[in-house]
Amino acid sequence: MSLSQAEKTFILHGVAENFRVDGRDREGYRPMELETDIVQHAFGSARLRLANTDVLVAVKIEVDTPLPEKPFEGKIEFFVDCSANATPDFEGRGGESLAVELANILSSAYESPLTFDLRKLCILKGKKCWKLYVDVLILECGGNLFDAVSLAVKAALHITQVPKIKAVNIDGDNVEIEVSDNIIDCDRLNVENLPVLVTVCKIGNHCIVDPSLTEEQCAVGSVVVAVSKECFSTITSIGTGSLHEETLFECLDLGHKVAIKLNQTLMAILVQIQPNQDVGFLK
Amino acid sequence: MFTTKCFIKKNKIGNFLKHVREHYIRDDISCGIPSCDDCNAEASSHLNEVHLNKCSLFKFEHFIILDTNVILDQMDVLEEPIICNVIILHTVYKEVKHRSLPIYKRLNAVLENPSRHFYIFVNDHHKDTFLPEDKNELINDHNDRCIRKATSWYMGHVPKRHFVLITDDAKNRQLALADNIPTCTITDYVKHLENNSILQDKLSRKDFHSEKEAKDIFPPHLSTAALLKGIKEGVLHQGTFRASKDNFLEGFVSVDGFTEPVLLQGRDGLNRSVDGDIVAVEVFKMENWVSPSEIVLEDEGVSEESIEDVEQKEQALKNTTVQEAEIKPTGRVVGIIRRKWKQYCGIIQGNSEGLYQIFVPANRSIPKVRIETRQAEFLKTQKLIVTIDSWPRSSRYPHGHFVRALGRIGSQDTENEVVLLEHDVPHSQFSEEVLSCLPKLPWIITEEDEKRRVDLRSIDICSVDPPGCTDIDDALHCRLIEEGKLEVGVHIADVSHFIRPGTAIDLEAASRATTVYLVGTRIDMVPGLLSSNLCSLRGGEDRFAFSCIWEMDLQANILSTRFHKSIIKSKSAMTYEEAQLTIDDQTKTDAIAESLRNLNKLAKILKKRRLENGALVLASTEVKILMDSETMEPLDVELKKMYQTNSMVEEFMLLANISVAQKILQEFPDCAMLRRHPTPPASNFDPLVKAGRHLGFDIQVDCGRNLADSLDRAVKPENPYLNTMLRMLATRCMLQAVYFPSGTLQKEDFYHYGLAVPLYTHFTSPIRRYADIIVHRLLAVICGSDSTYPDLLDKQKSSELCQNLNYRNRMAQYAGRASVAFNTHLFFKGKLNDEEGYILYVRKNALQILIPKYGLECTLYLVKKNETTLFEYDEEHQTQRAGDVVFHTFDPVTIRLQLDSSNIQHEKFSVLLVQPAIPGFSVPALSKDDEQVNDAEPVKKGKKRKNIAAKSPKKSKS
Amino acid sequence: MSRNRELISKIGLRLDGRRPDELRRIRCKMGVFSQPDGSAYIEQGLTKVLAAVYGPHQVRSRQKAQHDACIINTQFSMAVFSTNERKKRPRGDRKSTEMSMHLQQALLSVIETDLYPWSQIDVYVEVLHADGGIYPACVNAATLAVIDAGIPIKEYVCACTASLGNNEVPMLDVSHQEEILGGPTLTVAALPMSGKIVLMEMSQRFHLDHLPKVLNKALEGCKDVKAILDEAVKNHVSEIGSATGWANTTS
Repeated sequence: MSLSQAEKTFILHGVAENFRVDGRDREGYRPMELETDIVQHAFGSARLRLANTDVLVAVKIEVDTPLPEKPFEGKIEFFVDCSANATPDFEGRGGESLAVELANILSSAYESPLTFDLRKLCILKGKKCWKLYVDVLILECGGNLFDAVSLAVKAALHITQVPKIKAVNIDGDNVEIEVSDNIIDCDRLNVENLPVLVTVCKIGNHCIVDPSLTEEQCAVGSVVVAVSKECFSTITSIGTGSLHEETLFECLDLGHKVAIKLNQTLMAILVQIQPNQDVGFLK
Repeated sequence: MFTTKCFIKKNKIGNFLKHVREHYIRDDISCGIPSCDDCNAEASSHLNEVHLNKCSLFKFEHFIILDTNVILDQMDVLEEPIICNVIILHTVYKEVKHRSLPIYKRLNAVLENPSRHFYIFVNDHHKDTFLPEDKNELINDHNDRCIRKATSWYMGHVPKRHFVLITDDAKNRQLALADNIPTCTITDYVKHLENNSILQDKLSRKDFHSEKEAKDIFPPHLSTAALLKGIKEGVLHQGTFRASKDNFLEGFVSVDGFTEPVLLQGRDGLNRSVDGDIVAVEVFKMENWVSPSEIVLEDEGVSEESIEDVEQKEQALKNTTVQEAEIKPTGRVVGIIRRKWKQYCGIIQGNSEGLYQIFVPANRSIPKVRIETRQAEFLKTQKLIVTIDSWPRSSRYPHGHFVRALGRIGSQDTENEVVLLEHDVPHSQFSEEVLSCLPKLPWIITEEDEKRRVDLRSIDICSVDPPGCTDIDDALHCRLIEEGKLEVGVHIADVSHFIRPGTAIDLEAASRATTVYLVGTRIDMVPGLLSSNLCSLRGGEDRFAFSCIWEMDLQANILSTRFHKSIIKSKSAMTYEEAQLTIDDQTKTDAIAESLRNLNKLAKILKKRRLENGALVLASTEVKILMDSETMEPLDVELKKMYQTNSMVEEFMLLANISVAQKILQEFPDCAMLRRHPTPPASNFDPLVKAGRHLGFDIQVDCGRNLADSLDRAVKPENPYLNTMLRMLATRCMLQAVYFPSGTLQKEDFYHYGLAVPLYTHFTSPIRRYADIIVHRLLAVICGSDSTYPDLLDKQKSSELCQNLNYRNRMAQYAGRASVAFNTHLFFKGKLNDEEGYILYVRKNALQILIPKYGLECTLYLVKKNETTLFEYDEEHQTQRAGDVVFHTFDPVTIRLQLDSSNIQHEKFSVLLVQPAIPGFSVPALSKDDEQVNDAEPVKKGKKRKNIAAKSPKKSKS
Repeated sequence: MSRNRELISKIGLRLDGRRPDELRRIRCKMGVFSQPDGSAYIEQGLTKVLAAVYGPHQVRSRQKAQHDACIINTQFSMAVFSTNERKKRPRGDRKSTEMSMHLQQALLSVIETDLYPWSQIDVYVEVLHADGGIYPACVNAATLAVIDAGIPIKEYVCACTASLGNNEVPMLDVSHQEEILGGPTLTVAALPMSGKIVLMEMSQRFHLDHLPKVLNKALEGCKDVKAILDEAVKNHVSEIGSATGWANTTS
């Protein structure tokens, strides 16, 4: 969508006065809704609604051989799909560039072993390991995709049930794994340290978080920071535009602060959450 | 009303997938109790108010609810009609299906029988009895909980009635009592029923109680997990166990990948394996390998308890010298992977009293079985069926239970029953369902029928069959239509009109596949109403037929062929003899006689043509057993007489089959049911070639034509029987002819070796062969008289059907032969005769003798085990020599024949040599006095004779 | 041909407890998203489909524009996690293209295209969980979404699958498990009120004798589906309407 000059100015002024178009302050987030276990045949899933942004994440697990140089580690792979439901521009291969960008940022955010310990996914050293496929489906785009995606991914991974291994039979090269049939009997992943992405935009002289679609258009430059346990896991600048060094540090600070708060809130909610399959999209 | 079930399953690649399934909960499931007003009792519920379950444990009459284990273990008890008014929960039903398919099928049979009053209650979809799985609950516990919940629900739902839960699981019983559900074990229940002796016998003894501290006689078995681990690591090997027939302490295990089977000896070695089980063996180190023993050891055990004789025999076994050349890999069984216990025929060993009896199976490779019975006196006179339940370590014999009695030992009916069981021939009465598919009498031909068929009732059709035949499949006619042109028609009973696809009668016929002929009795493939009446082309009656009409010239060349359904009226149903007489009698000039003469002429031309093409004429010992119609005992055994008319009918049947084969292949290249006779491999012919060479003939076996020609040439004018014997040998070299769907093989493989035709099928006997019914259906589609149905055109289904047909045909053949063998034995009982015969085969330790008079083959042993032999065996020339006397194939001999009934389950002929005399071996000829003792004169005047033809060892080539 | 496991047990119930002529549970909601002009979500048994409609708006590529009718552009895509085995690509393979075309076919038959010349209507369908009957669910969802977008249609287009159980009893609305284990499946998209068939598709082999009864079953199923959809539409309209006050005028 395109904004007129007047609209852009309006937004700029609002940000300067710490009173954005929808009434938030610069560090405020729009209301979020989180649901888990929507996709029942995936091992874990979550759906996050951040005002207009709607993201659905599903986690699937497969058995795979670990990389030869990392025999003790499992694998994790991200895949993002922008559905045409969001905008007609995403039809066919239209949304691919955005999808690839998202997937890459997520991969780099999860790369460090401090964020996500892949060793937990190992079954048999050098022979078998779990591979997690995290599939993100963007259903509606209302701005601030990165945050929504990262929160949804974290929630989905939290709820993921990894099948518990009962026996491993080794017969030469042939490895056979037996797991318990009952899905309740499972392992869970530790998601404390999973990174949370925050998008910080510079509009005018100030930085804001959680930009809406219109605000994204006005931004001079945007930075996405991934914060995990007080450390930065990845920093990427997105969009067009450039930032000054000091501005950059400002953004980072802001991002850092916001991310930690966000993380705390999310973890608190995740502990309480009950999977409620009967609602989903029907509410 | 809707929940989901989640579970994880492994897929083919080895990945784990989470499966989610829907599970709907309904409110329209009826409880099945007839008096219940809430549920509209469906008509399908067989539960009956009238029948009462009287068990003295419970003061009220009640309905029974069963646990899964009770069904799995005690199916024999449940099949008894005393147990009725049983509710089978769907949870239990599914579990039975999952755990044991054979028991599931038997349960289905009981469920379908309305007089047994069984009902399936779908408790896992009923809104009141559905229970979601608790977290951390095992599946078995969940099932038990569902069962208890359903029982409680029933008790609350129909308060006027009572329900009893029968389960063998102690924990389940405990929890049930806590819920106020009346419950007991199956053993207790049966004990407290009236007239329970049979039921008690049939109880399967899974948990046995040893009366005293019994010593363990056998080593323990490893657990399944340990066995699998051992096999994976290569320390243990899996294979099928085969017991030795002569030595009860020896056996073999054939392992995949081993060139020789592993030898097992002694109790340690065999360790409670039963013939057919899949076992895990541990192979000893090479220095401990032994050779199979030459001695014959029989299990002479009288009772359970002592094993002294076993220990003695084991010692004897160990003491037999090890022959270096014969050393085989030796080992011992460490565990059983899968038991393959079946039902076994046999008798009770007579000499013990009391509750426990020893059962001796007819099959010598199965050990004796201990059974518990209260009817020992009665059962001792009967042939029984017993099945094995378990073999505890402390017991010398496996424990089993009696299933049913077959009849008096030695009576013909019992023997027939045994033969049928051993050859897996379905011979039960046709069920209600099947009989309901039959047309209602009186059967009339309607106008509809007449419109759809060609009316041939005016044509002079006649049928020619063996005497006493009631199922007339085929009829012929022949008439002159123009100068030099004859119209020949073959009319086959239109069975497919009455047997519609997919009906109960069709499924039953497909399962039976063929009519089985035993001596004195016949197991029909279709019920008598059809086989002997409505389908049979009886003389003077209007019948439906499927006609194959040719226009031929006088040289039997086919000018045109057509097929259509018709209505015929056979003018006369003749026997072969009568037809022959009619042809020969020049005074008869009616239409039938003329038509027969023409048919005969044409048949001769056709036969000549066939033989020129290389068709084989083989011989077999077809005997006819004459039975006394009152006592049903065999009076005499004689060879069948063949007339020209036999050959005439045969030729036209062959021609019809070939014409039909061509037609159906043309229209259905994918799924036409054909019959092929594979060419035997050259090595099969070795005995024939050697025998021929010895007589001075060169038998060519490279192709059918040459074989036929060389057999024709191999004639010695002074002894015409030699040629017949050569043909008999040739028959033994053949492979079986089989059915197959045309889409599964290449055209070259369609060849029928015996008939020397490229294409063949069976069309002419639908009353007694199921394959013919299928061919009729295909042909009917081509003629437009019938529509197809999916399975007819499905290659896969046809292939499966063919497999069953081939299997059943083989079994029917073996059963027929076994029956003839038994009756021949019966005939020779108590008789002692010297007979003339010829040597058919020369073996390493015996001579196979053929007695042409009775068509009987018996074995003359030249070497007894552990005795020195007088004979020298020359393998290359196939001869045995003792002093001056040399035995070759086809040499004439005279032997003494006697029936040895010492082992009542394995009667055999004892054969002694009379001529040529060999000192120290042969016996002197019987004098006239001896012969008079046993009168071989069979004809008793005044008694009616019933001629029952038994088709004996003829390899069917058509 | 797969072994014919009993899809209908002796008691007349299918593997999941339904009777042969019962549909699976259908739940649907319209107006799920705010950005598209019309959106709908439908659940048939475990199959879940989201549909979004944009339009009518200006055509994006001038060449495709028609002077007398609007063009309908459909896209069918399955989420990567929708099947039991993870799919590599959500769309772009042949099956998706074929489905898109079939969807377009079904919608073209009911949408009053001559009201919007020189325009384009986009219909996007996303499958979240595929458990048999994907195409019918898409058609039904698309119908609802189109109604939600306020685009005039001649009548409802509904779709349903049917198959043959035990070789002779027609079964309605087959799930994925039944599809795999059982025999041929017939998919029918129809206009229930007028009884016309828009699209018919069949897998495997069907015997001609059985085709009519299976077809009839499927058409009955479509009628049932239409009743359910209609109910949902009425509920949705009265909800929305009551918010703005015009529900009072209709009652």
